[in-house]
Amino acid sequence: MTCDAVTKAIPLYYYGELAPDVEDGVEEHLHACASCREELDRQKSLATALDQRQLEPPPNLLAECRHELIRAVYREQAPAVHHRASDPWGLFREAFHSLWHPGIRFTRPAGAVALLALGFFAARFVNFGQGGGLSLAGTTPDAIVSSIRSVQPDSTGRVQIALDETHRRVISGRLDDQNIRRLLLAAAREPDNPGVRVESVELLKDHSASAEVRSALLEAVTHDTNPGVRLKALEGLKSFAGDPDVRKTLAQVLLKDVNPGVRMQVIDLLIAHKDDATVSVLQTLVGKEDNSYVRMRCQNALRDMNASVGTF
Amino acid sequence: MLQDAAGAVSARAVAKVDEAAVIRAVQQGDQDAFEQLVRAYDQSVLRVAMNLLRSSEDARDVYQEAFLRVYRNIHTFRFDCSFHTWLYRIVTNICLDHLRKRKVRREEPAVVETTDGPVDRMDTFEQEAAHADPERRMWNRQLGDRIAAALAELTARERMVFELRHYQGLRLRTIGEMLGTSEEAAKNCLFRATQKMRGVLGDLV
Repeated sequence: MTCDAVTKAIPLYYYGELAPDVEDGVEEHLHACASCREELDRQKSLATALDQRQLEPPPNLLAECRHELIRAVYREQAPAVHHRASDPWGLFREAFHSLWHPGIRFTRPAGAVALLALGFFAARFVNFGQGGGLSLAGTTPDAIVSSIRSVQPDSTGRVQIALDETHRRVISGRLDDQNIRRLLLAAAREPDNPGVRVESVELLKDHSASAEVRSALLEAVTHDTNPGVRLKALEGLKSFAGDPDVRKTLAQVLLKDVNPGVRMQVIDLLIAHKDDATVSVLQTLVGKEDNSYVRMRCQNALRDMNASVGTF
Repeated sequence: MLQDAAGAVSARAVAKVDEAAVIRAVQQGDQDAFEQLVRAYDQSVLRVAMNLLRSSEDARDVYQEAFLRVYRNIHTFRFDCSFHTWLYRIVTNICLDHLRKRKVRREEPAVVETTDGPVDRMDTFEQEAAHADPERRMWNRQLGDRIAAALAELTARERMVFELRHYQGLRLRTIGEMLGTSEEAAKNCLFRATQKMRGVLGDLV
């Protein structure tokens, strides 16, 4: 190859994007040509300089984006809610409707959004009605109405409504704070929001030395419907893979979990501490496993433990 | 060692099998599956957008737009390419639009968002070399300045190819698929991008 051809090939050579025979030609030439080697050094310097300008997104940006996406997907799903409900009572009714039908994960924010909007409108009513006697006593703009207890019209045309409200609060604290820990444990069991469960388990998993955290992780591994949450909980149990209670649960999970990724991770945890019970569980699994990769992992693990692959 | 490698391969294969199941669930309207799919890819999408556009606000827009397009169009995904390629085709199209609009306006944000907050792009190199001697800092400032100028010289497509190859480590064949062009065209783009940058940065690197 000529110096000119090699110089042109150097950027692609640097990124490993040349065909093998061309790459061989470049290497042969570089071996013998000092000026082309300098050219390659310049390419490396350019790459090093450019490496310095790589950016990582700011820490909260990802969480904010996820939150906004959930809201945007909700708007996609139920545009009618936003267009139809032009009055506060419309919002109110629809909010209740969505809370009573919480089958889909994104409907919960729908309820929250509409109810927050209700809080806003309620606050406006309080101001508007101060002269006219209309009053939503004690209702604050960030209040979320959770249920109506009674509706009582009177003879003067007024109506009295008894309602329960919940208030949104933001609490922050360190993970070693007992109250924060307790809230996270509750959040790890939040039935309608797998996103909250994943985040909570992610935070709790580094504190599995605590018996109550470990118990929450075991519960998540066994019962959580979301495989992402189960996988996170398994990560947290890694350092207790030798604990008999943990192993017993893992063995049960291995034989019943529907997700092959979860089963793979359970196998890894179980075989970190070899015992007869593990051999027996793996042998049972080999017999019924329908995923070829999990079955292969299982067979390899049994061979490593010098155990027979089947129970015969 | 070999077994580790085999384990990694089989884990990847399982992940692929799983991903197909997750995508099918999304196609049938499963919201949890959609969230799972988003979480598998959204960090890298945000990083690509952030690095290409050098602005948190633009990266945020790209994130929203890209995943909403996924949500709206997932039913058209037919598994004839990997989901990763399909998603990045969407992401790169949106980023290219941003870059082109910016090119028309001839604007490059002077201040970029970093993990330490907003930083003037020209000071980035100084920050990294806070303890370096004044001469070194001056050199870093010059280099930062010239790199910004060099990147501004690239066309939107060249910048995209360069970003995906240099920073994201994707193969040119994959990049070509994402951009709806050939591997050869992606190679030419990378070559031109490198030449332009070396032309501008020549004496500094």
